[in-house]
Amino acid sequence: MKPSSNTPFIPVNSPDLEILRKFEPVVHFTKGEQFFPFQVERYVAQCSLWAHYPDGKEEQLVKQEEMDLEKLIEQRPANFGTIHFLRFIETLSLSETAQVLAAQAQLRRKIHNTFRAGMGRLARGGFLPRLVDALFSLSLLMRGKVSPATAAAAELTYEKMREEDEKYTYYGRVVRQNGWTVLQYWFFYCYNSWRSGFDGVNDHESDWEMITLYLYEDDGRLYPEWAAFASHDFHGDDLRRRWDDGQELAIANGHPVVFAGAGSHASYFRKGEYQAEVSLPLPSWVSGLNKIWSRFWTETLGQPEGKPFRIPFVDYARGDGISIGDGQSKSWMPVLIDENVPWVGQYRGLWGLFAKDPVSGENAPAGPMYNRDGSPRSSWYDPLGFAGLDKTPPPPQELSMLQENCEEIQKRQEELGALIPKKAGELQVLGMKLKGLEDHPHLAKLYSLLEKRIVTVGDELRVLRRERFENGALLQGITQRLELLRSGHRDNPRSHIHHLAVPVEEVSMRYARATETWAAISLSLLLFALAALFLLAPSFFWVGFVVLIFLGMIAESILRGAFTQTISRISLVLALITTVILVIHYWQYILVVTLVVLGIVLMLQRLRELTG
Amino acid sequence: MAKKKKTKNSGSKRPVAVTVTSTVIFILFFIRIYQAIIPLIREDFFNLGFSLPFFYNGNLTQYGKAVIGSFFYLLFAICLIVVLISFLKMKRWTWVFLMSWVGISLIVSLIDYFYFGEPNYMIMASNVVIAFTLSQSDVQRIFGIRSDISETIF
Repeated sequence: MKPSSNTPFIPVNSPDLEILRKFEPVVHFTKGEQFFPFQVERYVAQCSLWAHYPDGKEEQLVKQEEMDLEKLIEQRPANFGTIHFLRFIETLSLSETAQVLAAQAQLRRKIHNTFRAGMGRLARGGFLPRLVDALFSLSLLMRGKVSPATAAAAELTYEKMREEDEKYTYYGRVVRQNGWTVLQYWFFYCYNSWRSGFDGVNDHESDWEMITLYLYEDDGRLYPEWAAFASHDFHGDDLRRRWDDGQELAIANGHPVVFAGAGSHASYFRKGEYQAEVSLPLPSWVSGLNKIWSRFWTETLGQPEGKPFRIPFVDYARGDGISIGDGQSKSWMPVLIDENVPWVGQYRGLWGLFAKDPVSGENAPAGPMYNRDGSPRSSWYDPLGFAGLDKTPPPPQELSMLQENCEEIQKRQEELGALIPKKAGELQVLGMKLKGLEDHPHLAKLYSLLEKRIVTVGDELRVLRRERFENGALLQGITQRLELLRSGHRDNPRSHIHHLAVPVEEVSMRYARATETWAAISLSLLLFALAALFLLAPSFFWVGFVVLIFLGMIAESILRGAFTQTISRISLVLALITTVILVIHYWQYILVVTLVVLGIVLMLQRLRELTG
Repeated sequence: MAKKKKTKNSGSKRPVAVTVTSTVIFILFFIRIYQAIIPLIREDFFNLGFSLPFFYNGNLTQYGKAVIGSFFYLLFAICLIVVLISFLKMKRWTWVFLMSWVGISLIVSLIDYFYFGEPNYMIMASNVVIAFTLSQSDVQRIFGIRSDISETIF
C-alpha cells in the first residue's frame, strides 16, 4: 500500500531537527489567550527555587535573581516526601495585589485582547450541577489555590518578557520505536489561566502540553500516519487521528493543525467549545452510595442517566486568536531535546508553585519527562502506548507481518492435520483394549488406569480439534484482511476511537437571556429565601428548603425547555420516598398480599400443568 | 365509503402500564366522588339544599366548608374523567398533566405526613402507582415524552 501523492514526506536520513520542522504544527489560539509557548531558560531566570518539606515547612533554595538552568539541575539531597518547586510569582502584599489587578485590566484594554464567553458554562448545566459547582468553589478555599493576583502578576510578567523578545518555542523530540518514528512537540507555557481567565477548572503556574506525530518509513522516506494530541478526559486510542482523516484532522500545507484550549492549552483537532465535566471530589462512601443510586436509577427504574455530581466546564478552542506556525503571522523557534538535556532529565521538581492542593489541580506540573510525584511520564518513555499505537505496525510492515502470520497458521494446520488422526487412532486402540478388560475382575486395576489414560487422550484430542477449528476461522479472517490490504483498501480512520472528542453544538435556548440571568442569580436567590425562612418560619425550614429546591428546578426546566423530563424525575424521586413510607406503615399487609399473589400464581401454573 | 380518519396514536398498541394507570385514575375518581359526597351527607345537604348560610361572622360555617370542599372534590373528579378519556387516547398533554399533578400531590402528601401526620395513604399509594407507570420507558415513548437523546436537567 503506497501513501497518497499529497502526503508530505522527508528523506529518512534527514537530521532530527529538519524532520521536526517539516511536520511542525500550526497552533490556533482563542482570542483572549494570555500565554503562548515560551522558552524555559527565560522563565526559569524569572523564578526562585523552593523546597517543601514533609513537616510542612518551606525553604527558598535559590533566589529569583540568582536562578538559571544550571542552578535548577544541581543535585540537592532531601528526605522522602520533599517537593522541589519553582516559583514564578513571589508572594504579593495587599498594595501589590491591588496594583497588579489594576495593571492587568489596563493591559487587556490596551492590547484589545478580551475574551467573551457567549453562553456561560453555568447556563449549560442544570440547577443541581450549579449547587455542586458552588461546593466546588468553596472547596478551593480549603484546598489551596493560586490567587487571582498571582494570575494577574503572571500575565504582566509574561507580557513584559514577550515584548522584550517575542519568540514562540516548541521543544521537539524524535524517538524511533517498533518501526515508527515518533515526533513529540512539547509546549511550555508560563501559566495556566483556565480558571481565572476562562471560568475553567484550575489555575497553575507553568504548563506543559504536547502533541505527537507518528511517521513510518517507505522507500527511504518518512511519511506521517497518525497524530495524537494530549487532551482532557481522553486516553490511548481516543487520542489519535489518522493523517488522511480530513474531517477529524486539519492539515495546513503539510502541517497538522491544533486548536489550543483557552487558558488550559489542551490540544484539540477541531475548533469549537468543548464541555469538560469534573467530578466533585467526594468521600468514598458518598461515591459508593452515588454509584448504587445511579445503577438503581438507570437499570432498575430504566431512567436516563443523570450526573448530579459533575460540574460542566467549557474549554474554548475557538481558534480565533493568534496563530503560530507555517504560513501564520507568528513562527516557531524549535529546540531539539532528549533525556540528555540536563533540565529535561535531571530536574524532577515542579515547574511552578506548589499550591498544596491535595487533588493536584492547582499544583504546577513537572517537566516533560516526569509526573508531579517524580515518577516517569508514560508519554515520554512509551510514546506508542500513550496513543494506543503499540499494537499497530507501520503500514508497509502490516502486509508482510500478516502474511508471515498466515503462513505460520497454515503450517500449524498441516501439523494438526497429521496429529489429529494419529491421536484419534490412539484413542480408538485404547477403547478397544478397555473393552477387552471388561468382565475380568482380576484386571480391575489395569482397567482403572486405562480409563484415566482414555480421559487424558480424549482431552488432548479435543484441544487439538478445537485449535484446528479456531485456526480455520482465524485463517479465514486473516486471508480476507490480506486480500483487502493487497487491493489497497484502507480501514475506517475512526474505527479505533471509542470516545470521540466533539465540540458542543452552539446552544440555542428559547429564553437564552433569561436562562443566563437565572443561572447567575438562582443560587443567591435560594440562599436569600432560606435565610428569610430561617428568620420568619424556622419550624418550616426543611419543608421550605425542599419546596424551594423543587420550585427552582421547575423554573429552570421551563426556561431550558425541559419541563417534562424534570417533572418526571422529581415525581419519581417523590414516589420512591412515598413508597418507603408506605412500606414502613403497611409492611404486614404488603407481605400478606405478596404471599397471596404468589400463591395464586403458583396454583394457576400447577393447575395448568395438570390440565395439560 | 368515506375513509375513517386515523389519529396519530390510534394505531399504537397500548402498554399494560397505561391500562394500570387508567384503572388507578378510575379508582381515584371514585375516591374523589366519595370525598365529595360524605361531607354533604353528614351536613344533610341533600335534604336541606342551599338553605343554610355559608358564612357566619365572616367565617366559613361547618356547612359552608362541607359544600365548598365537596364542590372542589367534585371538580377534581370531573377533571379526572376528562384526563382519563384523553389518556386512553394517548394524548401527550395528559402525560404532562398527570405527572405534574402527581408531583404536586406527592409533595402535599409528604408535607402532610412529616408535619401534620394525617396523610391520605390511599391517595399516596395511587400517586406512587401512577408515577411509576408513567415513568416506564415504553409509556414515555408512546406519549412522545422520551426520545433517544434526553437532556440532563439534574
